[in-house]
Amino acid sequence: MAINNPSVFLLMINGQIEGANFPEYDDLYCKYCFVYGHDWAPTSGLEEGISQITSKGRDSPQRMIWNFPLEITFKSTNPLGWPQIVVSVYGPDTFGNDVVRGYGATHIPFTPGQHTRTIPMFVPESTSRLQKFTSWLLGRRPEFTDPKVVAQGEGREVTRVRSQGFVSLSFHIVTKDMKRLGYDTTPSETSHTLSHTAAAGIGPGDQPYST
Amino acid sequence: MAELHIIGQIVGASGFPQSSLFCKWGIHTGGAWRLLSGLKEGQTQVDLPQTGDTAYWSHPIDLHYTTKGLQGWPKLHLQVWHQDSFGRCQLYGYGYCHVPSSPGHHHVRCVTWRPLGSWQEQIAQTFVGGGPQLRSPDLVYSGADRYRLHTVAMGTVELELGIIMRHFDRYGVES
Repeated sequence: MAINNPSVFLLMINGQIEGANFPEYDDLYCKYCFVYGHDWAPTSGLEEGISQITSKGRDSPQRMIWNFPLEITFKSTNPLGWPQIVVSVYGPDTFGNDVVRGYGATHIPFTPGQHTRTIPMFVPESTSRLQKFTSWLLGRRPEFTDPKVVAQGEGREVTRVRSQGFVSLSFHIVTKDMKRLGYDTTPSETSHTLSHTAAAGIGPGDQPYST
Repeated sequence: MAELHIIGQIVGASGFPQSSLFCKWGIHTGGAWRLLSGLKEGQTQVDLPQTGDTAYWSHPIDLHYTTKGLQGWPKLHLQVWHQDSFGRCQLYGYGYCHVPSSPGHHHVRCVTWRPLGSWQEQIAQTFVGGGPQLRSPDLVYSGADRYRLHTVAMGTVELELGIIMRHFDRYGVES
């Protein structure tokens, strides 16, 4: 019965945080976490992680590569609160303290297939020059108490930030039962051809996955 | 009833004279649409880019609408403002764009414009800042009384909008 009348759909994400492009900073590591709405729940995989520390190579001085895997599956009843990935990048300053170099967030793509995203990274700004100097001296830069703020829209209007780099991510997305529940995520010409092949090739007991 | 999900981000803006920018945005729909959840207006952070001239906001948009008709398809309207180092805000542009009407991921570039005053006001604006603003912001997304307005082009705002539609095909709508 659940096969013919699904009430939840699944979203499977296989991807990686490929690397970063920060012209002025080196020896960076990143942390990621997923932010999602009330209707969503992760069914398998890791919701958070910390990567290795990477440096700029001699041969390709601009690129810093993490190649950090992301594997997670979500289930939900409603696309509201679609998961977002929040990436925070940290690195050492001139005195050796660990300071934040950027926060960024993006929604996970919802069309099945392969996607790449390059997200801008920004840090909160100090409010005055004196505070900027003392935070540089002591190594205590302004940072968000909870990086998940970057994935929300409320309360952002009082923050001043400086964007200073980019992080590139790639995703391979598989969804299950979104079409059965009536959700269209691709324009209708593609969905007509997909439904024809599905009717021709798949029997009643199978569950077709869309890829 | 058909449902529409708008899931995406206001990524940033470029092409403006200075780059310490923020954006006030809102979504306007016709009478047949009802917002089930999500925030339909907001204000982004202020970004001052370290390199380049593109200000990045990465402001998330996640809305769930239900509708009984196609009229009044959602429109996103924006006001781009500049905040200087003293904390004063100056209008840099108005713009609007329709929310895409086909499911999938869309990269939308919204152009902006600013009202142009008389030549005295323009001279004052280069020294003191400020400048004329619209009295009623509805003019940004309606064409009704625009013929009296004299405007000048400003930069563009980049948005990434993903659209998920549900049950539109039950009513025979092709998109």
